[in-house]
Amino acid sequence: MSSDLSALLSATFYEEGYDHLLEPVHQRDAAARRHLASLDVTLYDAEGKPLGAVTVDPRQEVLDLASLVHEHVTAPGRVMAVFDARYDERIFPYRPHHYAYLHRRGSPVPSLYYAVRAALGGVPDRIGATSLNNFENYLFRRRNFAERYSLLLGNLSRFSAAEAQVFTYYRGARLTQEVALGPKAHVEVPLEGRRDGQPLERVELKAVFGLASYVVGRRAAGGDLVLFDHLFPYFK
Amino acid sequence: MLAPMLSNPLRSVARRLLGVRRTPTYYLPWLTRPGLDCVLLLSNIEARFKSGYNEGPFRVSVLQYDADGSVVRRYEVVLASSADTAEVPLEPTAAGCGFVTVRGDRVHSDLYVTLSDEETYTATHGRGEFIETYPLRTRALMTAARGALALLGRTIPAFARDQYVYGGADSRSHLLLMNLSNVTNRIRVTASGEGALPGARLLALPPMGSRLLDISGFLPMAGYGTSVRRLRLEGNAWFNLYVVGAGPRDLAGPLSLMHVK
Repeated sequence: MSSDLSALLSATFYEEGYDHLLEPVHQRDAAARRHLASLDVTLYDAEGKPLGAVTVDPRQEVLDLASLVHEHVTAPGRVMAVFDARYDERIFPYRPHHYAYLHRRGSPVPSLYYAVRAALGGVPDRIGATSLNNFENYLFRRRNFAERYSLLLGNLSRFSAAEAQVFTYYRGARLTQEVALGPKAHVEVPLEGRRDGQPLERVELKAVFGLASYVVGRRAAGGDLVLFDHLFPYFK
Repeated sequence: MLAPMLSNPLRSVARRLLGVRRTPTYYLPWLTRPGLDCVLLLSNIEARFKSGYNEGPFRVSVLQYDADGSVVRRYEVVLASSADTAEVPLEPTAAGCGFVTVRGDRVHSDLYVTLSDEETYTATHGRGEFIETYPLRTRALMTAARGALALLGRTIPAFARDQYVYGGADSRSHLLLMNLSNVTNRIRVTASGEGALPGARLLALPPMGSRLLDISGFLPMAGYGTSVRRLRLEGNAWFNLYVVGAGPRDLAGPLSLMHVK
């Protein structure tokens, strides 16, 4: 493989019962001028144990994650799918993204569409960084919806454990949760919707290096995903 | 990023010759339906990290454009500090879609638009891009060229975008198209991919106008599983889109919005 190629490492989370279709190349044109050089997908369970790996034909337009997971796992819980792509900067002068379409089969909620989170694999985003230099933020509506919120976090590093802090804000009060993840491990961190009668207003995520992170909202009745979005990064 | 039909240097030259100005603008889409509320979430968290500019209050001005490009309403918001958040419910209109522009004291990022029914809400971010302003003479030239090409079912392909759309028995994705310019934007939409329904649609979006593009005309919805088609959109002026997610009740039910790069 050419050393002139650039790397893109991304991850998402698969849950049973969802149509989950991934576009390796967002905005792919009919002639496929915008195409990846290669794409490898590896699946991991919550402890970071590999469940399967597959090399995908980079000409494939849409990947069916449900089919891919079921080829390797019979009764999957939450599975982290890691996408290791190579691309040519002459084709993509900007860093490309994978996108995905998500909907729980039979659910009354609307489908979701999202940018798959890209992250570096276990190295600080700045050389010499020794402190928590990755800062991400997300805001919430204050009204009391029948919805449960959480963060889905995955550590894409091959060797390094990751430590992160999750701060949630409730009208001036702040709650801190510490998260430790082994290599390729992932976790869902619940966020209290109310605390001492005050609504959840904001969540911050701080880590030494970028994690695969998503804000999740689940319908209280049934847990269907109604929110699946990236946090907004400030430092990286 | 919108895929240009011309290379970047050529486009810059063309813009200069045509006298087109680009004004940096932060915008968010909006969508309302009976039983579906649209609320903006405004903040200025970014100011926390800007030494010398991190003290509030921060004034924010929101201009809501309707689908026909007319101004629905202006909202003036004051954020007391960089940790303050304001919820701004948008006014429903008969057309039920459009976009808002946001101007304020160093407010550039991390603003949200939310759609909610009585039970749940979904959210997505806005985008910092620009609005194109064409001078009168260029507008007249474009009107003539656009009219001639429209007779052939074509448009001036100044900008193009490719976007996948999805449709199944109980979910689908539609597109909210936004004309980010002061000229009428004729956008030609074609579908490709196995099973795509043939034919092209030519849409006319008024200056600063929007259009909710129902994708049912581009792909069959029957059967089990989710079908995917690739749409090609070409317009004579700058435009962008958001994906509108729908469930089994389609556009009559709860909806989601999602930005694309």
